[in-house]
Amino acid sequence: MAKENAQNLIETSDYIGHHLVNLTFGWCEKTSSWGFANHQQEFFKGLDSACKVSEMGFWSFHLDTIFMSILLGAVVFGFFGLVNRAAKKGVPSKLQNFAEFVHEFIASAVNSGYHGTSKIVGPLAFASCLWIISWNLMDLLPVEMASFFGHFGGGFNYFKILPTADLNAPLALAIVVMILVTYYSVKTHGAGGFLKELFIVPLGPLEFISYVSKHVALALRLYGNLFAGEMIFILIAIMFGQFAMSFSQTLWFLPGLILNLSWALFHILIVALQAYIFMMLTIAYLNLASTKH
Amino acid sequence: MNINATFFAELLAFCIFVFITYRYIWPSMENLLEDRRKEISDGLEAASQSQRKLEEANKESATILDGAKSEASSLINQANSRADQIVDEAKEQAVEEAKKIKLSAEADIEQSANKAKDGLRDEVAALVIAGAQKILDKEINAKANKDIIDSLIKKI
Repeated sequence: MAKENAQNLIETSDYIGHHLVNLTFGWCEKTSSWGFANHQQEFFKGLDSACKVSEMGFWSFHLDTIFMSILLGAVVFGFFGLVNRAAKKGVPSKLQNFAEFVHEFIASAVNSGYHGTSKIVGPLAFASCLWIISWNLMDLLPVEMASFFGHFGGGFNYFKILPTADLNAPLALAIVVMILVTYYSVKTHGAGGFLKELFIVPLGPLEFISYVSKHVALALRLYGNLFAGEMIFILIAIMFGQFAMSFSQTLWFLPGLILNLSWALFHILIVALQAYIFMMLTIAYLNLASTKH
Repeated sequence: MNINATFFAELLAFCIFVFITYRYIWPSMENLLEDRRKEISDGLEAASQSQRKLEEANKESATILDGAKSEASSLINQANSRADQIVDEAKEQAVEEAKKIKLSAEADIEQSANKAKDGLRDEVAALVIAGAQKILDKEINAKANKDIIDSLIKKI
């Protein structure tokens, strides 16, 4: 019994670990070559490297994150681009109606929150909000689905479909925001004024710490919420997983089903809310940067 | 959680998507909505203007109607007074005519009365003469006594 439990524990932690590893393509120090992390895929023969994911350094790419985010972006922005191209001034079609609704929603947030003159804030808010929502929606797909299709469809043993649960993606967004905030701060207050604000007035370098941390927090907030949500889905999925292991644990099936459903319903809120929060904070930071105070 | 070169790929992708939004999605939608907003406000403006015009036209038609009504009533009054006048004139004429007829009738009556008087006088004179002839019987000449008889007749 104890042995069986220990065995289960190892399998469980393996299962969780499996779901937290990205499909990685990177530079392997050991062999001095580029390649996929060891045993992650069988699709590209000969591109397997000897390194594990943990052994790869900074120069590695999470191909699943990149693939999924660009695919989702292409779908979302392609949709809006096509609808806009077909848009007409008269009575709008239903798709155009939807696109207009989304646009008006974001535009009203921008107009009420941003009082500067920059033309980039609207598009930035639009792009970040919709891209993040499309990422987050991937969290609602069953956790096993991606691995299932990855394994049998393409020979990828590791494939995470949720770009938000990879810190690189939200961090990239937050850094773009940070660069823009810095640019507009310097433009509004001048380089000297901006540096003075960061390091001297009124609390010394504390302001600099808050400046950096608010942008890092922008990324971490999004990442943390979705990563935790994904984690809970994985834990719930384990309940189903027990089904195959021993008969006594098939009893987990029903609570697992109920939990999965209720968490998914609750998660819809988080999906939209986190994207909204990211957008609103982006607007607020840029507003602070481009108005004199 | 490990930061690696994926970050740069995401950074690039985000910049590209923001640029696409900036170039192709945001402004066209803004223009579209702005145009529609303008169209709607123009339509509302036109509607209120035509409403105003309608009110003006209503007012104008009401004044025209009032004018026509008063004109018609004045015409009717005129006609009525004219009719009264005609009736009055006719009455006056009739009365005059009646007076004339009456006068001529009176004249006729007087004339025929005079004629009858004259006739009677002559007859009475003849009777008186005959009577006097019978009384005096012989000598009395009708001619000689005519003056006396005429003066008698005039006294009658």
